[in-house]
Amino acid sequence: MLRKRIIFSLIYNDGFFTQSRNFRLQKVGDLKWLEKNYGFQKIAFSLDELIVVNASRTNKSVSDFASMIRLLVNDVFIPICAGGGIRSMEEAELLFKNGADKIIMNTALYKNPELIKELIRNYGSQSVVASVDYKTSNGINEVYIADGTEKIDKNLEQYLEYLELLDIGEIYLNSVDKDGTGFGYDFATIHDIAKKINKPLIIAGGAGNEKHLIEGLQINEVSAVATANLFNFIGDGLPNAREKIIASGLNIANWNPDQISIES
Amino acid sequence: MRIVIVEYGMGNVHSIASTLKYLNVSDVIISSDQEILKNSDKIILPGVGSFAKAMQRIREAELDTLLYKLSVEEKKPLLGICLGMQLLGRSSPEDGYNEGLGFVNGDVSRFDSSGLKVPHVGFNQVKPSAQAKLFHGFTGTPDFYFTHSYRMLSDEDINQSVCDYDGEFVAGFEVNNIAGVQFHPELSQQNGLRLLKNFIEKF
Repeated sequence: MLRKRIIFSLIYNDGFFTQSRNFRLQKVGDLKWLEKNYGFQKIAFSLDELIVVNASRTNKSVSDFASMIRLLVNDVFIPICAGGGIRSMEEAELLFKNGADKIIMNTALYKNPELIKELIRNYGSQSVVASVDYKTSNGINEVYIADGTEKIDKNLEQYLEYLELLDIGEIYLNSVDKDGTGFGYDFATIHDIAKKINKPLIIAGGAGNEKHLIEGLQINEVSAVATANLFNFIGDGLPNAREKIIASGLNIANWNPDQISIES
Repeated sequence: MRIVIVEYGMGNVHSIASTLKYLNVSDVIISSDQEILKNSDKIILPGVGSFAKAMQRIREAELDTLLYKLSVEEKKPLLGICLGMQLLGRSSPEDGYNEGLGFVNGDVSRFDSSGLKVPHVGFNQVKPSAQAKLFHGFTGTPDFYFTHSYRMLSDEDINQSVCDYDGEFVAGFEVNNIAGVQFHPELSQQNGLRLLKNFIEKF
């Protein structure tokens, strides 16, 4: 049976991993900090996937970001999705060459659909994850691009239909209002739109503890839950959450934890 | 041991190379050079993306005839991964009908049921063939990471291990020295490491 996934998202900003709250970024630490506080290669064994987003506001250099990805993915044997600020095939290729298995796109989905089509023609639709940021205002879900700064002329439902026609691989649905709050996902919206999406749906924004992850995973149409909360899941937070989720009987992968013997 | 990962510009080969190095393969080379391929102990054919484009690049580099000579005639171990596995089959309709390398009797088609989420993404359980060397030491139905919109089906005995997503499809096959897996062992945690270790040691 196809398993559901637990995804950790890392938000990268000018050399640092950050905690985002409603898209306001707070620096937390660099790659060394992440290694020290998360023991990353170890913790990766409790994740189904890793998403790394370049949210750099001042220097959005894809090549610097790609170099960081290369270091980050060393000895991490899980799928890596990376993106942020990709505007050309060359920039996407740079990420693939440095260890990304898929790329996450946002602004270009709306501004440059030709680039998206070209990416899909080259790398297949399963390689393109569509990041969708929305805010709720007077009961309407408004879609934003450019790191949450620019509102577009389609509402969430219209935009999801548009993305389906583009034939992107997956939807990464992020509520800006819930982002970083730790209060739980935007379940009202998720319940409302999940059935209308024929692509794998990753929900993000608001998870603060394993109960939120469980609540998200219990929704039939949700394929994966993501959290970018560096504080709430620090240390053994993620492995512990995974254990509780497995114990609750949810359908997620249960790997053989035995270390394999490697002869030198 | 020298393992060559065929480089023909289709997707992320970095993670396969780093997995092999982690498994202490002394010599891991990413290349499409004919001489380097001839002098390898084993070959991995990776691939992500379009079947049509991949076959075009393989033919342009004359890798189709070389791989036939090395693996079908001379029996050098060959493992296809994801699209690389599909290319070892007979045909695919992705971007128009295209013939594959034709080393095994399997045909590729798109997941097409209405209401089914496509692509098929995530960990899914594989039912290994009892004879499969790749799955040596596995018990039950281990989880591996899949991400694909097309899958291989075969009516013939290609020693297939299967996965179920809207019906069973070929998750892996082994015909003598030629094997393929639809999933990504390099992204499948300990299970993937174990499977690749089997390819290194048992083929």
